[in-house]
Amino acid sequence: MRSRSWQRYLGWTLVCAIVLIAIFAPWLAPFDPNMSSSKVLAPPSAANWIGTDHLGRDAFSRLLWGARVSLVIGLAATVVGMGIGIPVGMFAGYVRGKIDLAIVQVIDIFISLPAIIMALIITAVIGVSLPNLIIVLGLLKWPIIARIVRGQVLVLREQAFVEAAQAVGCTTTRILSRHIAPNIVRVVAAQFAIVTSTSIFTAASLSFLGLGLPPPAADWGGMVQSGFDFMFLNPWLSLAPGAAVTLTVMSFYMIGQTVD
Amino acid sequence: MIRFILSRLAFFVPNVLIMTFLLFAVLSGWLGSPASMMLGLDASPQAIHDLNRLYGFDDPIIQQYGRWLWAALHGDFGRSFATQQGVTSMIADALQITVELSLWAITLAALAAIGLNSLGGRRLTNFISTFSVVCITIPNFMLGATLIFVFAIYLRWLPTSAWVPWSDGIVDHLLHLVLPIITLSAFYFGSFSMIYRAEYRSVMNQLFVRVAKAKGISDTRVSLQHVLPNSVLPVITFIGISLGQLMGGAVVTEVVFSLPGIGRLFVAGIRGNDYPVILAVGMIVLTGMMITNLLADIVLARINPQVRLS
Repeated sequence: MRSRSWQRYLGWTLVCAIVLIAIFAPWLAPFDPNMSSSKVLAPPSAANWIGTDHLGRDAFSRLLWGARVSLVIGLAATVVGMGIGIPVGMFAGYVRGKIDLAIVQVIDIFISLPAIIMALIITAVIGVSLPNLIIVLGLLKWPIIARIVRGQVLVLREQAFVEAAQAVGCTTTRILSRHIAPNIVRVVAAQFAIVTSTSIFTAASLSFLGLGLPPPAADWGGMVQSGFDFMFLNPWLSLAPGAAVTLTVMSFYMIGQTVD
Repeated sequence: MIRFILSRLAFFVPNVLIMTFLLFAVLSGWLGSPASMMLGLDASPQAIHDLNRLYGFDDPIIQQYGRWLWAALHGDFGRSFATQQGVTSMIADALQITVELSLWAITLAALAAIGLNSLGGRRLTNFISTFSVVCITIPNFMLGATLIFVFAIYLRWLPTSAWVPWSDGIVDHLLHLVLPIITLSAFYFGSFSMIYRAEYRSVMNQLFVRVAKAKGISDTRVSLQHVLPNSVLPVITFIGISLGQLMGGAVVTEVVFSLPGIGRLFVAGIRGNDYPVILAVGMIVLTGMMITNLLADIVLARINPQVRLS
């Protein structure tokens, strides 16, 4: 897999860059992201690198601040998904039998439902806000994690060291947390990056559809959408935040693919 | 085979009933009363009560579900709160568009992924495996926006958006569909390629392939006649899942290109709190997904007899 190592370097470099941008956004951004001015829809210039939006806000500053929203949503949603998915997957894989069968049924149904439609329904039900978005995405992602963890545990539980632990009289909780958990860390780490990537993807799509964070939050998906009407005037209003989402999603995905 | 299909059907019907009931309960229960949803936050209790009486929203859920299902089975999904149009005809119109778009996109993606990966040389397939990562990770709105900018605004080769029906000319119809189809198929091309390639590699290493090559059969024929049939199964499963998911509309693609399909109808319904539309689309998505999964299972069993026995 020689061809993959550059993917790993590229992925980590980009993710580090995006994290740094998110942390230092207030110092990097030339303008206040929410400060309107009379310069509405100005073309790119020395002061406003990619122009200003329809409210006269500096699009470049908003682009930098947008990294925060994306990362927070992506990472927090993954933590929620892991919090549900790992215990459920471990439990199902370890106990097997009818309980396992029932859990697998639920997981299969969840996975085959279209994510965007489910996200739309749930956000309609519980309303849009940062914590709600994180919960919605976490609810959508846990079955994927649970399925993978379950598959790992199914194999591990047949191994001699688990049998030994059982023979010594370890409790189920102890076997799962002390003997099985350390062996699934790598797989879970890879999934962490992948799920973060897909969460950012879904969150951006939701906000493109107008169900993201309410304005004036600097949110990449929403920026693509509001810039869309001005494509003829200044395409960068849409294309720059779109490219930012794509790079973020891609870099997390590449990391996930190359963890091993 | 018939026995397999019948046993699947026996599970299928109750499954659909349970799932649709759950969705119904979630939508009508958690959304709060549809009446307060329609009238807004500051509606008077009297107005909400009257509306509940009018639509029967205060009956027990199972009764409401029964009434809804009975009407739906007779082709009546109620009237949209927003437009007062019949939901059935709204959905029928939108579904045509979504189905056409999805079929084009999936067919194109599957043919391209399987064809290029079977017949392409080493360099091409290496390129595709990198390219697939881009295809999978680029959001539809970004790809759509880029394509519109390059081909419609900058080069002016293609129209930006909008739906032109068949009756207004086949060429015009297809020209308006080129960019949406490419946008929608990118993700599927990437996924199909990855899945197919992984399977293709492992089949390639098997003994019967080596025997075929040793007999002097050409690489192309080995690829198409010996390896392809044995590595295409996972792709078929995934096509089934994809088609099911696309019943919910290619939401983002439809919005980007202003195509009046199911996805856009659904987004409009959610934004406008249009309860009958949300309910009908949600149910159709769910049922459509279950039907395509069933069909994919049957196709798999047809191709691979082992599936039938397990």
